[in-house]
Amino acid sequence: MKYKVENISFATLALILAIIPLLLELNLLAGGSTVIFIGKCMSYAIVAIGIDLIWGYTGILSLGHGLYFGLGAYGMAMYLKLVSTGGQITDFMHIGGLEELPFIWTLFKYLPNTLFFMIAIPALVAFLVGYVIFKNRVKGVYFSIISQALTWAVYSIFISLSPYTNGNVGITGIKSLFGSVKGDANRANMYLLFYVTLGILILTYVIAKFLTQRKFGKILIAIRDGENRTYFSGYNVCLYKTFIYVLSAIITAFAGAIFVNFNGSITPSEMTIEFSIMMVIWVAVGGRGTIIGAVLGAFIINIGQYNLSSGIFVEIWQYIIGAIFTLTILFFKGGLVGLISEQSPILIKKFQQKQEQKQEQEQKQEHKQTKQKSEQIIITKPKEV
Amino acid sequence: MDQFINTLFNGLSLTSIILFTSLGLSITFGLMRVINMAHGEFIMIGAYTTYVVQTIFTHIVPEQFQSWYYIVAIPIAFIISFAIGSILEITVISRLYGREIDSLLATFGISLILQQLARTIFGTQGVNVTAPDFLFGGFKIGTITFSYNRLFIIFSVIMCLGLIWYIMYRSAFGKQIRAVMQNRNMAQCMGINSRRVDNITFSIGSGIAGIAGCSISLLGSVDSTLGQNYIVYAFMVVVLGGVGNLKGSIIGAAIIGFASIFAENYTSATLAKAIVLFIVILFLQKRPQGLFVVKSRNLD
Repeated sequence: MKYKVENISFATLALILAIIPLLLELNLLAGGSTVIFIGKCMSYAIVAIGIDLIWGYTGILSLGHGLYFGLGAYGMAMYLKLVSTGGQITDFMHIGGLEELPFIWTLFKYLPNTLFFMIAIPALVAFLVGYVIFKNRVKGVYFSIISQALTWAVYSIFISLSPYTNGNVGITGIKSLFGSVKGDANRANMYLLFYVTLGILILTYVIAKFLTQRKFGKILIAIRDGENRTYFSGYNVCLYKTFIYVLSAIITAFAGAIFVNFNGSITPSEMTIEFSIMMVIWVAVGGRGTIIGAVLGAFIINIGQYNLSSGIFVEIWQYIIGAIFTLTILFFKGGLVGLISEQSPILIKKFQQKQEQKQEQEQKQEHKQTKQKSEQIIITKPKEV
Repeated sequence: MDQFINTLFNGLSLTSIILFTSLGLSITFGLMRVINMAHGEFIMIGAYTTYVVQTIFTHIVPEQFQSWYYIVAIPIAFIISFAIGSILEITVISRLYGREIDSLLATFGISLILQQLARTIFGTQGVNVTAPDFLFGGFKIGTITFSYNRLFIIFSVIMCLGLIWYIMYRSAFGKQIRAVMQNRNMAQCMGINSRRVDNITFSIGSGIAGIAGCSISLLGSVDSTLGQNYIVYAFMVVVLGGVGNLKGSIIGAAIIGFASIFAENYTSATLAKAIVLFIVILFLQKRPQGLFVVKSRNLD
């Protein structure tokens, strides 16, 4: 029953997303930038699913998923940059004193290679980090702190190796996989990219649902709620945790690659700790432990940010997001979805009770009426006799 | 030789800064098991307080007493961050004892609010605190200059350490703190007001962060992201040293501080820090519980 509601909500959301390009064609939207923004939101929603799998279901709080997002995004950006330079070395490499394409960039010269390394590198990093940490039974906040430090370290390295990564500026001036998506002339490219992204979002949702509804998902929840008991029940907790962590990293890297296509640039700010915690905020506000919650959270927070973080609201937005997040953690552990699913049965019950009361009253009234009638009948009966 | 001594001094200086920023954290995290992500913002509050005190002094105090502002700023920074810490404890932290991960997340929300508050009040541009006259320059031995600035920070860390050590291990209140942290129920049975102890302990941790901010404001411009630059290190120091003891934090800070400075001789500063963090992370794989362990038979 509960699963059904979740799937129906997601299907509705997917349908709404699918209509958005049509709205643009009918001139109901301000411009193409809205569609590009929604596309970015979809990539964020994919990240949120990845975070939800490890945090909401398995209880591993990673404050460093920006690392995997960045690795995927940089991988894709390197390929796209090489497409635009025709495989030649870029300006910032010239400035940095390099004369040949560095080895790491040559890995990303062709699309199949790019797709492989874009996934393989984050997966390998996640496997090494995850396996070693989980094997040593580092858990809870210690894992969070270590993941945070790791992300910070990689972020510093990306900034300091500016001949390879262009430092703070990042890789800019790139087109999407399907060509440029900016401007009215390139709408066809944009729609193609949009629907491919929607497809990937749906696929990610299906994979996540598939995993979590099975016994596998139950074991993840068992690890979250009582890790030692799961050990004692004979499960290899380390393996389960590593698997879900690597899967989550791959999902996040994929989302990063999609994000680059929409954004047209990648900067190290997408690898920071703040951005990584933002990802956690999406999931927390939407509702951890439900896939639809994570997706909704990513959309709601980002749409809020998009609409409110300009003009006079730019200052207020930080307060709002901080307050919402703190209040969610303090009082609404299940986030938005938790709130709805907790409150709606109560409301339905109240509604049903009211209806029952109404019915009872009606029945009573009917009863009275019939009584009166019958009394009348009784009264009238003797007359007949 | 000169260069070696210089490196040593720089290492000591960095150690003292890192230790200063992590002292408050080692109290709130180590003793109370509260992961205060807003710790960096308390450092920021201390730094801004110094700036405000300085500004007030330039307006109302005669010229020759100008540099006394710094001496006044230290207790005020402590009091203000103590008070804000106390409010935070009552409103947010007190609901989160025993929920470590949630305390981390909730305080991150608080840190977002505090950062924006700083931007609203002081603007996004950094402000500058000019070091008081008596901290200008430094004294020279041979070719090496020991700047008074850095010597002062080392000195104040030692003072703070002494103060915390006295409060924790020699005063009656410290006994209460340790009793509550070790066995809350038993301490309550003995008539200790554990709510009050929690509140004051957290506030002391925040207050020390305020003093740290006071010192750090001497090193560069003060802006809303000041605290973020130190928070990663502060957490690593506490985890590396082993949660729950002061000794561990000192050694942890020393390891990270000296290693960073020595690595800097061979590579750039950011790269050096990153490498040191990697080494610390690797070390924590070998010894997840940190250098010094408070022994316990608890499993969960």
